[in-house]
Amino acid sequence: MAASEGAQETQAASGEFEREPVPAKAHLGFKSFIGMYAGEHCAGTELMIGPLFVAAGASAFDLVVGLLLGNALAVLSWIFICAPIATRVRLTLYYQLEKICGRHLVIFYNLANGVMFCFLAGAMITVSATAVGVWFDIPMPGLNDLYPTSVSWVVTVAVIGGLISVVAAFGYQTVSKFANIAAPWMVLVFLAFGFVGFRQFMDVTNTEIHSVGDVWTLATTQIWKGGDALPGQVKFTFWHVLFFAWFCNMAMHIGMSDLTVFRFARKSWYGVASGAGMYVGHFMAWIGAASLYAYQLHLDPMDTDVLPGPLAFRAAGVVGLLCVIIAGWTTANPTIYRAGLAFQALVPQSSRFVVTLVTGGLATVAGMFPAIAMQLLGFVAIYGLILMPMGAVIFVDFWLMRKFGLQSNYAELSGKTFNLAAAVAWVVTLAVAWLLVKYAGVQIYFVSLPGWFVAAGLYIVVSKFYQKKIRPA
Amino acid sequence: MLKTIAKPVSWLSLVVLILPSFLFLIGRIEFDSVNWIMLLATIVWFISASLWMWDGDTKNS
Repeated sequence: MAASEGAQETQAASGEFEREPVPAKAHLGFKSFIGMYAGEHCAGTELMIGPLFVAAGASAFDLVVGLLLGNALAVLSWIFICAPIATRVRLTLYYQLEKICGRHLVIFYNLANGVMFCFLAGAMITVSATAVGVWFDIPMPGLNDLYPTSVSWVVTVAVIGGLISVVAAFGYQTVSKFANIAAPWMVLVFLAFGFVGFRQFMDVTNTEIHSVGDVWTLATTQIWKGGDALPGQVKFTFWHVLFFAWFCNMAMHIGMSDLTVFRFARKSWYGVASGAGMYVGHFMAWIGAASLYAYQLHLDPMDTDVLPGPLAFRAAGVVGLLCVIIAGWTTANPTIYRAGLAFQALVPQSSRFVVTLVTGGLATVAGMFPAIAMQLLGFVAIYGLILMPMGAVIFVDFWLMRKFGLQSNYAELSGKTFNLAAAVAWVVTLAVAWLLVKYAGVQIYFVSLPGWFVAAGLYIVVSKFYQKKIRPA
Repeated sequence: MLKTIAKPVSWLSLVVLILPSFLFLIGRIEFDSVNWIMLLATIVWFISASLWMWDGDTKNS
């Protein structure tokens, strides 16, 4: 899953066009977006997600077709929901939100965003720690572990997280450059995981491949057989895989985070570039990692641990371990930096260095708890859900408000610093989603879709009363 | 001059990085060889790519 937007961060860090539309001379070509998305969606967490699909009992059809369609829906969301607004207003998400919601409500959004980034960075640190654990033979957590399992595990995570935090605080730009260099290498190592995993299955099952049909037969009968989920995991069907692939980056497309990225695009159809990230990171990498885990289960059905380090080491030796460490590090680094930026907005006079360091410390503590990484599928769904309602607010504000006789960018026009209509839309949507999950038996993976319509409807209805009441004379 | 040489070398190292795993897939190479060749290609990639990518514009990455 995408943890970072390198270009976005670079621009944010350099303070370019943070409070003004991006001028034509700064627009970027299609190629810029292809490279960015392809690199950034090959994160360390891909090595958790692929195996967790297998642990959730997804079959070959569920996995392949679900990912093909789910990723297509994600790309369409970038093309038709996020990019058209980005290329029309050409503002950052935060500035756009400030105009609609007011500065004080954006602070709450920043807080939610920062906390989510902290947990996500924690999962990335966990992933890197599993690779270091192979080197030093450290006892590592199992699939259903929630708490730190050993002192050596805690120390490993503390050292890795500490290093990542210090580097993020001192030299974000340097790691960003290193991440750019590592990206093409990492993509190919992920592909190699798939090749090696498939061959290992052929060897262990004595299968000969003569046609595409043979490949599919091996996939369905040996690699991803489906069936029950492993104990402690939610059973994944085709629909789970489809919705997960669609919504795992919901904060970015439907949630509109990537307004900040696509404000630089010359044309809105550049949203199609997100397909490079989806089909490299969220198709190829997930399937490659899933095959490695399926191979592990095939060798020993009792060995259910989802540990990217050992999985990658078995497939590509030292290069596999390096890939896990670098993938975790290069994605945790900007995630911590972004979380720091979000928190700094709460206390603007604080030092960015100190805030990033403290944020890194929080992420490191989160990384010590394997629960986040081992329950990553659920966490990612919650992450998207929490930020999604604000995306719905932006969508409605841009396309529909005037059609209902209401005012767009109401906070800016009225001078309000807290748009109650947007706040109600956000909070009530999350409450409705929680009720649906808790009492109606709807799984977390499916509540975001109805949730979007709830948020959109609420924003219009509450604005009808709210704007009328305090409409400037 | 160094950058001019580094660029094709780095692209070649990526080909060398992925080729052994493909050859392993089609049964033309042993698994141990895959690991060693990938490690060598990794070292060459990070050295050669750093020479021409390090000063590149990260915005366009």
